[in-house]
Amino acid sequence: MVLKLDLDGTVHHVTILARRPHLVLSVDGRQHVVESLDEAGDGSRALTLDGGPVAFARAGSADGVIVRLGGRSFALYRRDAAADASAAGGANVVRAPMPGTVIVVHKRVGDSVQRGETIVTIESMKLQMKLDAPRDGEIAEIAAREGEGFDKDTVLARLVAPAEG
Amino acid sequence: MMAPDDNPPFRKVLIANRGEIACRVIRTLREMGIASVAIHHPVEARARHVREADQAIEISGETPVAAHLDIAQIIAAARAVGADAIHPGYGFLSENARFARAVAEAGLTFIGPDADTIALMGDKISARQFAADHGVPVAPSVMPTQDLAEFTRQATAIGFPLLIKAAAGGGGKGMSIVRSAEELEGAARLAASEAQRYFDDGRVYAEVFVERPRHIEVQVFGDGKGGAIHLFERECSVQRRFQKIIEEAPAANLPADLRDEICASAVRLAAASNYRNAGTVEYILGADGRFFFLEMNTRLQVEHPVTEMITGLDLVRLQIEIAAGRDLPFAQDAVTANGHAIECRICAEDPERDFLPETGTILHLEAPQAAYLRFENALDRGQRVTADFDPMLAKLVAHGPDRAVATDRAIAALHELALLGVKTNIDYLARVLGHPAFAAGELHTGFVVQHKAALAAAEPDDATRDKVLIAAALGLRDFRDLVLGVPEPHASIGHWRN
Repeated sequence: MVLKLDLDGTVHHVTILARRPHLVLSVDGRQHVVESLDEAGDGSRALTLDGGPVAFARAGSADGVIVRLGGRSFALYRRDAAADASAAGGANVVRAPMPGTVIVVHKRVGDSVQRGETIVTIESMKLQMKLDAPRDGEIAEIAAREGEGFDKDTVLARLVAPAEG
Repeated sequence: MMAPDDNPPFRKVLIANRGEIACRVIRTLREMGIASVAIHHPVEARARHVREADQAIEISGETPVAAHLDIAQIIAAARAVGADAIHPGYGFLSENARFARAVAEAGLTFIGPDADTIALMGDKISARQFAADHGVPVAPSVMPTQDLAEFTRQATAIGFPLLIKAAAGGGGKGMSIVRSAEELEGAARLAASEAQRYFDDGRVYAEVFVERPRHIEVQVFGDGKGGAIHLFERECSVQRRFQKIIEEAPAANLPADLRDEICASAVRLAAASNYRNAGTVEYILGADGRFFFLEMNTRLQVEHPVTEMITGLDLVRLQIEIAAGRDLPFAQDAVTANGHAIECRICAEDPERDFLPETGTILHLEAPQAAYLRFENALDRGQRVTADFDPMLAKLVAHGPDRAVATDRAIAALHELALLGVKTNIDYLARVLGHPAFAAGELHTGFVVQHKAALAAAEPDDATRDKVLIAAALGLRDFRDLVLGVPEPHASIGHWRN
């Protein structure tokens, strides 16, 4: 079984290599030996990992786990079957970095833009933000409509290089 | 705390709000033996405030926010359920003079100041003038104007740096700092257009900008007959994007005579305006000890719990009693402050990406509990956190005998608070509280920007990341079943052992 866990947007792989006499796991190809796992009733836990103690706390649901270690919290999500949501497009698309509403569409299809020019102004939870052209080019598509809402990562505009257009 | 009320001043109160503040108001209403009514847009039908209220009524609107701002509909709802008063909470209609007037005209009691007071204090210019007329210090400034050339001339005469603000503003909208004459006109133009867009009022004004100011505010209560008291001050200097994230009471390292002076000035303002109900007078305080009136909030504030924790009073109860025409139940000298309290605003946002809002579904919530903690929230597992409302999800408030203990308790509670499914500022808040400058009380409104590098989360190294991944993996039951040697076919069918 390969367990896929998403930590801060990167999917990591945890695999069982051996169970006895000690548990041997691989994390992204790096091997680790777990000698013991001690679970106290109050939520605190301790591992003996690679010969040293690791104290941590943990809470979670079927979808994911929060691990608190060294004064920090890490949220991890299962990605066993999930497809990677971050689609292709790269420098040719203007994507919403947050969910929100379109306030102003500054450009029209066919307009030439230079890198850094504002294409759309959006707003979310009282915060306004300008989305700029990621490169020089021509506007091939504007998906943003003033007053309309959108989800995080929605493509609001597409660019093409002037030669392509 | 005050004793339960044998003779409640109202029978039924409608809460024109949602979320944690609605739940907070419901709690006090219940203690007082008053029935509570929640309002909700259809998408909020299963929200906590709806479940906790004695009664709920649906309001419609193109968006949930539009529904919560629909004055006619809310008043009709209150009448339909036979409520005799409306509590507006904070935000939404809480400082809307038209709403307060409409509530009164409908024969209902508005649990807050009267409409004229809200209107007076809601306009920054009239509020400033009123404050100045009553001996409350205001910063040197240019009066609001739409004549930008005249504005530039007058502003330049005051000297730099200047802060440009919208006359009808709030929440940092239409605000900018100008450090030279060259920047002034452009900044004023931008502020005016932003003000026009947000507040339908393009007037801007400029005032002396106090470098590294502290934000100090005083909780006041007035009886509406000229009597007013204060419940000490709060410090709300730690802000991001002009919005508070950590508040505390009392303010850190504030000399006693300065505290007395600030509180007395707030009481003077409240008394002069025949202020009724709860209000907060906000000030900026410079390093030289000079303080200036900023504005007056004519409502209960988000951060009221820190005042409740140090005074032992229930501010919502006080609001209700005063709204019913009762006198202030105690005199100024009966109010005492005990220890220190710190509130952290838990927000759905990513501190590593300039605090951009985050959305998601709450998959898991585990909050610490202790007598010295309050976790004010209306969160449920499975609840969608959408971009419809403010990003604040909950408030964690810790009390201690002194500031150091309150801070340690707040940090420990933040570390214990587990919320899965939406990115939050929980760890960030713990880093702020743990910063040496916070411990030393070296606070000002630029704290977050000044300490940006130190407050950033360090990228975990491979060794730490692997420990986290292993700890997480061993917490997932099907994976652990495999580890513990449960035969594969059984393990793969799921959680059969429990």
